[in-house]
Amino acid sequence: MNLARDIIDKQVVDKNQAKMGKVDGVVLALHGGKPPVVSYIEIGGITLARRVGRRTERFIRLLKKRWGSPRAQQPYRVAWRQVRDIGVDIEVALDVRETPVNDWQNWLRDKVIRRIPGS
Amino acid sequence: MDKLLEVSLGIVTSVGGYLEIGSIATSAQAGAAFGFQLLWALVLGTLCIIVLVEMSGRFAAVSHHTISDAMRERFGFNFFLLPLTVTVLLNLMVLSAEIGGVALAGEFATGIGHQWWAVPVGIVVWLLLWKGTFGLIEKGVALLGLVTLVFVVAAVKLGPDWKDLLRSAVPSLPQHDGARYWFLAASILGATISPYLFLFYSSGAIEDHWNESYLWANRAIAGIGMTFGGVISASTLVIAALVMPPSGIRDVNDYHQLPLLLTKVFGFWGLVLFIASLAIACLGAALEIALQQAYLVAQGFGWNWGKDLMPEAAPAFSLVYTLSVIIAVVPMVLGVDPLNLTVFSMALTAASLPLTILPFIFLMNDKRFVKQHTNGRLGNIAIMAIIALGFVLAIATIPLEIFSGG
Amino acid sequence: MTREINAELLLGRRVLAPDGRSAGRIEEIVAEPQGSVLAVREYHLGSYALMERLAATPFGRAMLDFFHGSGIGQGYRVPWDKLDLTDPEKPRLLCALADLETLKRA
Repeated sequence: MNLARDIIDKQVVDKNQAKMGKVDGVVLALHGGKPPVVSYIEIGGITLARRVGRRTERFIRLLKKRWGSPRAQQPYRVAWRQVRDIGVDIEVALDVRETPVNDWQNWLRDKVIRRIPGS
Repeated sequence: MDKLLEVSLGIVTSVGGYLEIGSIATSAQAGAAFGFQLLWALVLGTLCIIVLVEMSGRFAAVSHHTISDAMRERFGFNFFLLPLTVTVLLNLMVLSAEIGGVALAGEFATGIGHQWWAVPVGIVVWLLLWKGTFGLIEKGVALLGLVTLVFVVAAVKLGPDWKDLLRSAVPSLPQHDGARYWFLAASILGATISPYLFLFYSSGAIEDHWNESYLWANRAIAGIGMTFGGVISASTLVIAALVMPPSGIRDVNDYHQLPLLLTKVFGFWGLVLFIASLAIACLGAALEIALQQAYLVAQGFGWNWGKDLMPEAAPAFSLVYTLSVIIAVVPMVLGVDPLNLTVFSMALTAASLPLTILPFIFLMNDKRFVKQHTNGRLGNIAIMAIIALGFVLAIATIPLEIFSGG
Repeated sequence: MTREINAELLLGRRVLAPDGRSAGRIEEIVAEPQGSVLAVREYHLGSYALMERLAATPFGRAMLDFFHGSGIGQGYRVPWDKLDLTDPEKPRLLCALADLETLKRA
């Protein structure tokens, strides 16, 4: 399995095929003397921002500090053993509603969109 | 029989939704300045868009991912940032021009300046996106858009020399104003090969739940729909060629000259039809571009997206098109000339084509996405030719704009 | 002692050989199941690996073979234990370039 070709930046879907963002990062666990192990996939703005550059990462972290909930301060991780299928999409054995990936969109919905008539 | 209906609807959508301020403006300018001579640019552009639209549709139907989705998934986020930024900015400019087009229709109808129409038009665009379903927008505006067929009628009525037209379908060298000639050629290509068209088409294929059984329908819609659309653009050029010079206009640089395209042929009713065509065509384009903007950003980041989802279910998606409309209204309110903005953004579109077209050569041959429906040798040759054209445009357009005086 | 690094940040990083020469950039990380975990087996460096990542078409491979023939672009296969990731921003090769297998066209 090739991490760059098959996993990074691929669409993640939950067990109900609902979209869960894209794989923004993959965490490798390094134990001295043993091969690095794929331990988590990361989904979130901080991980993505870090790929662009240090300053971008700092900016996103600042935004999250100002506007985000406590659990938004660190990238969201899905343990590798939760990954069910790897094809055109990466299917994980979770329900997106139980994860924080949509937190900011839920906030948007509750605070802004619900207030606008006809949504 | 169901499929036949869908194909017909798809063709109608492509036809009705083809004309917009970019094609009207560039065709009018080309016709007035060079007669039929630049017809080949329209032919070339139409051939290219047929290829790109067919590929975008095939890609989406088989992979169930859109081209925008795949641009990040295949090339990584860092590469994707480049076409993302460029396309977002360009979309905002073109969206602004289209809103300006509808505003101009309002000005032609009532005499009230287009700056005053900008905000109401923006609100209408936003409301249609907020409340309308994808089907309603796609089909409703497209059916109304058939009014643009009046351009074809007018062109035929003017009785152009068919031999002349055929001769002009092949490239020829200009006898005067070389820089302006090639600049207009580039603008026509930028107006015809608009990335938002094929990107939107691939998102539309997903919204309409296409799958592998739709491949022939896709070919029919792309081929027939885009050809008909091209005919309408060509008609605009023909009308301009026959109507503008006799009125003393060789350089269409004032938007007040545009209604002449139909008033010279149909008199008062020509004005009515022009206003209706302009308003509907630009409204349709504005809706498509705003939606495409939201698709592009949402797909790039993996958010939930979809026009049929209520705004509640796709908050970030709705936010993107809302912000886009708000930002796009501003230049019009500030009094930017819609015609100038249009020509400028068509040129920029031409110059940025390689960014959005280059991925096609990789995506259309990637079995993981398109399975066995990869490009054949002909398809790859076609896409490479288009990419080459894109690079030529990228290098030449801006210098040409400068040398021809804009 | 377990450390964590992000794989996506390794991609594109230049790898230096012990003699200071560049071995190319990390373009792909290949992993395989080992028991119940997915473990990294090797890294692919250089411009050939980049084409591999783009899941190149026959066109892409042809392009690369063309460049390969003119000496531009080399690809190396680096087993997991030959890459020192103590500083993830400056990966170092733990063996000589000559000891590495090159990436061959498939």
